[in-house]
Amino acid sequence: MKQQSNWSPYDNNGGTCVAIAGADYCVIAADTRMSTGYSILTRDYSKICQLAEKSVMASSGFQADVRALQKVLAARHLIYQHQHNKQMSCPAMAQLLSNTLYYKRFFPYYAFNVLGGLDNEGKGCVFTYDAVGSYERVGYSSQGSGSTLIMPFLDNQLKSPSPLLLPAQDAVTPLSEAEAIDLVKTCFASATERDIYTGDKLEIVVLNADGIRRDYMELRKD
Amino acid sequence: IFEYNGSALVAMVGKNCFAIASDRRLGVQLQTIATDFQRIYKIHDKLFIGLAGLATDAQTLYQKLVFRHKLYQLREERDMKPQTFASLVSALLYEKRFGPFFCQPVIAGLGDEDKPFICTMDSIGAKELAKDFVVAGTASESLYGACEAMFKPDMEAEELFETISQALLSSVDRDCLSGWGGHVYVVTPTEVTERILKGRMD
Repeated sequence: MKQQSNWSPYDNNGGTCVAIAGADYCVIAADTRMSTGYSILTRDYSKICQLAEKSVMASSGFQADVRALQKVLAARHLIYQHQHNKQMSCPAMAQLLSNTLYYKRFFPYYAFNVLGGLDNEGKGCVFTYDAVGSYERVGYSSQGSGSTLIMPFLDNQLKSPSPLLLPAQDAVTPLSEAEAIDLVKTCFASATERDIYTGDKLEIVVLNADGIRRDYMELRKD
Repeated sequence: IFEYNGSALVAMVGKNCFAIASDRRLGVQLQTIATDFQRIYKIHDKLFIGLAGLATDAQTLYQKLVFRHKLYQLREERDMKPQTFASLVSALLYEKRFGPFFCQPVIAGLGDEDKPFICTMDSIGAKELAKDFVVAGTASESLYGACEAMFKPDMEAEELFETISQALLSSVDRDCLSGWGGHVYVVTPTEVTERILKGRMD
């Protein structure tokens, strides 16, 4: 009998991330629970990383790979700043993230990312990724263990009022910043009820013309 | 095997009423065979059962249940209470513990004093009673999220219909194996309203 190896280099630390783009702001949120199997490793782990002045990435999945990915992107951003004497724009960072992920196509980063920020015109932008770098600019997205629970609700609230026709381009939500934050809080409250890997605390990062702001909200701890 | 035909089922409790809704697609893996498939069946005026999962098992199980209920009606000269019916379904499923029916039932009815009752169970009969809503099918995770966010206790029949329809339509839009519209029954102590929803036809 051929001996099969049961060891896997990957683990899933759970968690959920959401991002919503507005006319002049972007909301990026993630829970702060890190788990393995059915156990909780910590209730206070940040999945959100600011990569550039106007780009913030939230990643769920295998946090060791997420950390490594954040390091690589930070280093590449520093090189860019030295070579071009300016910060990387969000769409540029989006492309860089995609290329970095595809570079490891045959031993991927087990990271499910959502990149949020402000584009060159100051409008909110959200890019959603799979584990090997396929990406799309969207108006809102969620990734992680609670994403199947949250996505349909976001579709219902944020998709343009004619869902029977082809999807509208430029789905930047007409909601105000406060309304978007409220929506995110509702999403996480619901996801926490039904997903065991989501909970503890919610970290919300808001990017707008005035800069960057971080808020926290308590979630159920069970 | 639960993802062979595709299905989405949800039942919600309101104020002295309940609603049960399903999608209308019947597929064989990726191919759609029918767009008007009925998953929710009426047992009697105040008791409905929806069957998610493998369509052939759903139909067979339904036929067995109708048979058992008709015998009950003949012997007891009355309709079965929803709680009793749920126990019946659970027992029938557990009889086949080591060769199960690949179905997940959703039962909804008005019990004593027209109190709404909903429950779901897994394919071997483990009952899950809930006070707010129950979901089943390939779109169940999406349904959990949508229902959890949209549900409020003690909704009237009209509002309940709107809520369950929105939850169903947005959840099946994120599931490729279910969709092609919706079938919603809203049941109050005095009437049963059946409505067909038009959604994304894919």
